[in-house]
Amino acid sequence: MNNTSQTIRVGLFFLLGLALAWITFESLNGGRLFKKQGYTLVAGFANLKGLKTGDEIRMAGVKVGAIEQTRLADHRVEALLAIEPNVKIPADAVASIEQSSLLGSNYLGITFGTPGGALLKDQDEIKTKVTADMSEVISQLGNLGAKLDQVVGEIGKSLGGGEGGGLFQRLDKLVTENGPKLTTTISNLQDVTAKIKNGEGTFGKLVNDTKLHDDLLASVGEIKQAAADARTFMGDAKGIVTDVKAGKGTLGLLLYDEPTASSLKVSLNNLKEVSAKLNSGQGTLGKLISDDSLYLSVQSTMKKADRMIDGLGDQGPITAVGVAAQSLF
Amino acid sequence: MNHLSAIVGHIGGTLLLLVRTLKFIGTLPRQWARFIEQCYLIGYTSLPIVTILSFFIGSVLALQSGYSMENFGAKQFIGTLVGLTMARELGPVMVAILIAGRVGSAITAELASMKVYQEIDALTTMNIPPERMLVLPRLAAITVMMPVLAIIANLCGWYGGALVCEYTHTISVDSEAYFTALKEYMKPHDVTDGLIKAEVFGFVIVLVCCYIGLNTRGGPREIGASVTKAVVSSLILILVLDYFVTKALLMS
Repeated sequence: MNNTSQTIRVGLFFLLGLALAWITFESLNGGRLFKKQGYTLVAGFANLKGLKTGDEIRMAGVKVGAIEQTRLADHRVEALLAIEPNVKIPADAVASIEQSSLLGSNYLGITFGTPGGALLKDQDEIKTKVTADMSEVISQLGNLGAKLDQVVGEIGKSLGGGEGGGLFQRLDKLVTENGPKLTTTISNLQDVTAKIKNGEGTFGKLVNDTKLHDDLLASVGEIKQAAADARTFMGDAKGIVTDVKAGKGTLGLLLYDEPTASSLKVSLNNLKEVSAKLNSGQGTLGKLISDDSLYLSVQSTMKKADRMIDGLGDQGPITAVGVAAQSLF
Repeated sequence: MNHLSAIVGHIGGTLLLLVRTLKFIGTLPRQWARFIEQCYLIGYTSLPIVTILSFFIGSVLALQSGYSMENFGAKQFIGTLVGLTMARELGPVMVAILIAGRVGSAITAELASMKVYQEIDALTTMNIPPERMLVLPRLAAITVMMPVLAIIANLCGWYGGALVCEYTHTISVDSEAYFTALKEYMKPHDVTDGLIKAEVFGFVIVLVCCYIGLNTRGGPREIGASVTKAVVSSLILILVLDYFVTKALLMS
């Protein structure tokens, strides 16, 4: 074999290997094997939840770097975040450990923060937030399950069994003991409804006959008419009272007019005089008063008149109600 | 007991051979032609078989994992599985087994016949240590060639898997999804771990084969016995070392 061609082949072969290795690394992680790019941030956590070196850092779901190192510091864990150089992270961005799948792989999520604010620089510390991890959620679910179990158990106990028999047992007992009675009641009910359906009896007629309904409607209309009349009457009465108050008419004059009052006084004086004369038995009227026989006959006459007026007074309302009642029933 | 002491003796002899060889490392530029020749024999001529073997290993891996992962709906992770398995385990180990069978046996056969036909003794008489002229170029060549073979094996395996995933109708994961999944969970150190493993395996294979070849005693029958012994020891060492190297790399 020609020595030179052998050398060339070996050289080409080696270069091919180097090129393939370079392509592999380049496509896998942007060639970060050879040189470290970007800047480093520090994130402090109470619990790292299995976040490890090489895990992704994502800003709103986009990969912006990787965990460079994790270390224990006083009473907390610190993760060094290698961030890509062209990614700007504002000072109020918050980092939290998120789960990318239920299988348990974690990544570090960073929020956007306020745009235009101060940016974090190399070796700055980023704010962090505690998130519930899967095991906590699952243990809480377990607690919930236990409580649900308890509640369902109690419901079951109160319904089905327990001391003194549960609700179901009692209901069952009630139904079995009163079985015949219930059957009778139900058959009676059937009879009644059948009768109603056939229009038998008052209730049946009420339900099935339209004439009754029409009558009812008519009487209601009449009641309405009566109420309207009563309203007109009340309006008239009100008008009279206002007239009296305004001093109109005889009664108004009597109550509110000064001259009338003074003439009334004169009349009263005159009356006093007359009554004095009467008391002393002077003149025809005096005799009339002092004589008993005349008084007695006048009294009996007055009684009769009274009774007559009473009758007249009652007659009005009774008639009105009577009319209303008759038209109703 | 005799057997155990013999094994310990072989380990010690191998290490002493390594130390004696490394003493001559400064002479490597002067043996450049010999080094290139060994590179050609070890690396370049192994290329076709490494390519074919790793391509089909990647394909079969994709086929089998596609078949079994379909049962629980994890087909989109075939890329991850094939990628990681090829880079971390199957690529280096398969290349090492190939090298043990193809190169290790040749080295042992050559050195054993030289020893049996007293060529080694002649070299020693001429004050040419066999470690310098015979062992050092081979060790240097395998050190340079092994990562190259391993990375070729990785890529061929990945593309074999991608091809099977795309064109097997029972799997039908397109190659874009396959390589996305592959990149998603693979980190550069997975590949470097594989390359380190390949390097370790290759180095150990050549060293052991040289030792066994140089320590052959007797006639032509012993040459064959030596070759068998060399290949068997190489395979055992590959699989035993695989565990410990992997563990050491995972812990680091």
